Amino acid sequence: MGSYEQPSAGGGASSNGSSSSSGTRPAEMDGLLAGAGYKVKAAELHQVARRIERLENVMVNSAADISHLASDTVHYDPADIGSWVDTLLTELNQTVSLPCDLLELPDLPTCPLLDETTTLDNRWVVGQNDQSHHSLTPQQQQFQQLTVVTSMEENSGIRLVHMLMTCADSLQRGELALAGSLIEDMQGLLAHVNTSCGIGKVAGYFIDALSRRIFAAGTIGTGSSSSYCTGSPSEDEVLYHHYYEACPYLKFAHFTANQAILEAFNGHDCVHVIDFNLMHGLQWPALIQALALRPGGPPLLRLTGIGPPSPDGRDTLREIGLKLAELARSVNVRFAFRGVAASRLEDVKPWMLQVSPKEAVAVNSIMQLHRLLGSDPTREPAIQSVLTWIRSLNPKIMTVVEQEANHNQPRFLDRFTEALYYYSTMFDSLEACSLQPDKALAEIYIQKEICNVVCCEGSARLERHEPLAKWRDRLTEAGFRALHLGSNAFKQASMLLTLFSVEGYCVEENEGCLTLGWHSRPLIAASAWQAAPEYEVA
Amino acid sequence: MAGSNEVNLNESRSVVPLNTWVLISNFKLAYNLLRRADGTFNRKLAEFLDRKVPSNIIPVDGVFSFDHVDRNTGLFNRVYQPAPEHESQWGIIELERPLSTTRIVPVIIFFHGGSFSHSSANSAIYDTFCRRLVNICKAVVVSVNYRRSPEHRYPCAYDDGWAALEWVKSRPWLQSGKDSKVHVYLAGDSSGGNIVHHVAAKAAESDIEVLGNILLHPLFGGQKRTESEKKLDGKYFVRLQDRDWYWRAFLPEGEDRDHPACNPFGPRGKSLVGLKFPKSLVCVAGLDLVQDWQLAYVEGLKNSGHEVKLLYLKEATIGFYFLPNNDHFYCLMEEINHFVNSNC
Repeated sequence: MGSYEQPSAGGGASSNGSSSSSGTRPAEMDGLLAGAGYKVKAAELHQVARRIERLENVMVNSAADISHLASDTVHYDPADIGSWVDTLLTELNQTVSLPCDLLELPDLPTCPLLDETTTLDNRWVVGQNDQSHHSLTPQQQQFQQLTVVTSMEENSGIRLVHMLMTCADSLQRGELALAGSLIEDMQGLLAHVNTSCGIGKVAGYFIDALSRRIFAAGTIGTGSSSSYCTGSPSEDEVLYHHYYEACPYLKFAHFTANQAILEAFNGHDCVHVIDFNLMHGLQWPALIQALALRPGGPPLLRLTGIGPPSPDGRDTLREIGLKLAELARSVNVRFAFRGVAASRLEDVKPWMLQVSPKEAVAVNSIMQLHRLLGSDPTREPAIQSVLTWIRSLNPKIMTVVEQEANHNQPRFLDRFTEALYYYSTMFDSLEACSLQPDKALAEIYIQKEICNVVCCEGSARLERHEPLAKWRDRLTEAGFRALHLGSNAFKQASMLLTLFSVEGYCVEENEGCLTLGWHSRPLIAASAWQAAPEYEVA
Repeated sequence: MAGSNEVNLNESRSVVPLNTWVLISNFKLAYNLLRRADGTFNRKLAEFLDRKVPSNIIPVDGVFSFDHVDRNTGLFNRVYQPAPEHESQWGIIELERPLSTTRIVPVIIFFHGGSFSHSSANSAIYDTFCRRLVNICKAVVVSVNYRRSPEHRYPCAYDDGWAALEWVKSRPWLQSGKDSKVHVYLAGDSSGGNIVHHVAAKAAESDIEVLGNILLHPLFGGQKRTESEKKLDGKYFVRLQDRDWYWRAFLPEGEDRDHPACNPFGPRGKSLVGLKFPKSLVCVAGLDLVQDWQLAYVEGLKNSGHEVKLLYLKEATIGFYFLPNNDHFYCLMEEINHFVNSNC
C-alpha cells in the first residue's frame, strides 16, 4: 500500500488530496483534482462543495425546469468547478437563503470582479489572475508533446523516423559528416516509401529541411538558407490563401476571433480593429456583415491593417482596404481603413495606429506573436515591448491565435522531434481535403514553416511556436487577463467544422480557450484577452 | 430516507474524501444537464464540458503515450507504455521490435466508463487512470475510444471493442515473452466492464486468447428491480432513473433491460458453458446500486464453470478509483497487479 501522497502519473505532486489543509498554502490547487482536469484551490474545497449542494438542491429536488441550463445558458471554463457552479446558480436566480439543516454562513465572493460581471453582463466570466495553470507539473507544461500516429506501420516508414531522429541528433552534436551520410541513406529509403501520404510525405519535407541545414552550414542565420524558408511577401500571400481554403485552421481562427470581437464591441459606437497581419483581409468581411446586422445598428468601424511593404510600388494594403470599404458601403457600415506597412511587427509603434481614446479597440493577432520571440541578447525581447504598447492602448479585447506546439525549445533535437509529430498530424489532416490546387499549395505553405523551424536560427527563425500554457504565462505576466470563450463559441466552431464535411477535425475547450485539432491532437489555439486592471498586476 | 427524488446530501459526503465528492458530484450535475427527457443527448455541451488531455511522447512520471488513429473509422486507441530506460530513446515510437523477448509484458485493453454515453479515451480522468495502471502493473495499456450512445447504440461499442482486440493482437510490437505473442487482458469500468464481458465472450467463441478480464463495477441490469437498486437509489451519486435512461439510450429502440447486452445471465442470455472464457476479476463497490446485478454476474460465471474472483469493497462508492486518496484504490490496484502478473 502506498501513502496517499504518492505522486501519481499526470496527477501533479504538489498538494495532498485530502481536505485537511494544515501546512498547505491557501493558493495551492488540489493536486489530485488537477490530474482529473479540474482547478479547485485546496482551501476552497468546502466552499465549492457547498455551492454544489445548493445547485443539487435546485436541480434534483425542485420541480423547476432546468432544461434551459443546457440549451440557453452559456458555459465558461468548466475546469473551474466553483465558477461553473456559480454560473448555473446565477442562472437559476438563487438567493442566499439556504435550507436550515445546512448550517453555514452565506458565501463571500472569492473575487469581487466575478460577482460584478455575473450580475451586469452574463457574457464574460473573467478568469482569475492566475495560478491555475500551475496545476500542471513543470514537466507536463514543458513536455506536453502530442502525437497522433496514423499509418506508421510500414517498416520503411518507421525506419525513416528513426533515421530522422538520429540525423537530427548528430546535427545537434556537430557531427555533420555523419548527418550528411544519413541524409543520403534516407533519400534512398524514400524511394521505397509511399511519399504521397502519411509519414512518407512529411518525412520527405523533413529530410529536405535537414539537408538544407547541413549543407548550408556556415550560412545559417545569414540569410542564404533562410531565404527559401521565408520567401517573398507576395508568394506568402498566395500560399496563405490556398492554406486558408484547404483546411479549416485559419477559418476557425478568424471565426472564433470575430465572435469574441463582436461580443466585446457590444454597446460601443466607435470601434477600432487592429489587425497584425492583414494579408487579403479574409477575416473582415464576416465581421463587417455581423456588425451591419447588429441590433441597434452598426458602429463606426475603423480597421488598421498591418502588413509588409509591397516591393513593386503597389500599395497592397490600400487595395485590400478599398475592397473592404466597398463591402462596408454596400451594407451601410461606416468604415475607415488605414494601412501600416512594416516588415516586422516590432517596427510598428503605437502612434502609427492613431488610436482615439473614445473608441473601443480590438487587437487581432493570428499567428504573429510567436515571431517576436527571437531573442537578440543586446535588447529587450521584442515580445515584451509589443505587449507593453498593446496594453497601453487598453484594448477592449485582444484575440490571439497561435500554433499549439512547442517549436521554440532551446535544444534543436527537442524542436525537431516536436515538429516531426506536429506536422505529421497537420499533413494527415490535409490529406482529408481533396481540393486542388489548394491542397498542393497549402502543403508548400506548411513546408516553408517546417523549413523555418528546422533550418533557421537566430533572427531568421521566425516560427517560434509555443503552446497555450506558455502564452498564458507570458500574457498574464505582461498584465493581461483571460476573457473566456464559452460554450456558444464552442458550439459555433463545431458547426463550422461540419461545413467542412471532413471527419476528424476536433474542437476542444481548454480553460477558457478553444483549440482546433486533428483527432485527439490540438494544432491551433484561440484565446481572448484584455488588460488587467492595475491593482491586479503583481 | 427512502424516495428516489430526495437527495440526502450528507450520506455521500461522509463516505468519500472531499475532493472525490466534489469530482463525482460535479459529474453528476453536468450529466444531469446532458440527458434530455426525450432520450436525446446534448453531445456538443458534453464535449465542451469534458476535460481532455493530449498524449505525450516524452515520458511524464515514467509513462509515455501516443494515439493511433484508424483512417477508416476515425476512431483512435491511446497506447500507454512505461518510459524507455535511456533518455536517448525518448520521443521514438518503437513499432518493430517486441516489448520483450524474455519476460512477459501484459497488454491491458482498457474500455473507459461513462454509461456508454460519456467520456473518451482522452478524458483526463481516464488518461490519468491508465497511466497509474502502467506504473503499478508495469504493463502496456491500450485505451479504446469506442463510439457512444445514443448516437451509436448496441452493438457499436462491442464492435469497436472487437476491432481493438484484433488490432492489438496483430501488433508485433506488443508481443512479449519467449512465446512471442501479445499477452492480452481486457479491463473496463462501468460500461467499459460490460464491453469487456461481451468482447471476451466473442473472443472465446472465436478461439482468440484473452488471458483475463477485469471488470470494475461493470454495468449490468435487468427488468426486475433488485434490493440494492431500491435501497441505494439516489443515495450515493446515482439514481435508478438515470441508469434506466442510459440503457434506453444504448439498447436497440423498443428493447427492455433483459436484452442480453444488459443482462448476459438473464432469461435471454447465451450460455458460456464449455467455452474457453478467460478468468475474471470483478470489483464491486458496496455502495453502488447496481451491485446485485454485478454479484449475479459473478454467480453466473461460476455456474458456467469459469474462474472468477470477487473483490467486494464494502464502503466504496462508484468512481472510488479516480483519485488515489483512499484504501479501496490501493486495494484494487494491488489485485489488478497480481491478476495480470501472476504468470511471471
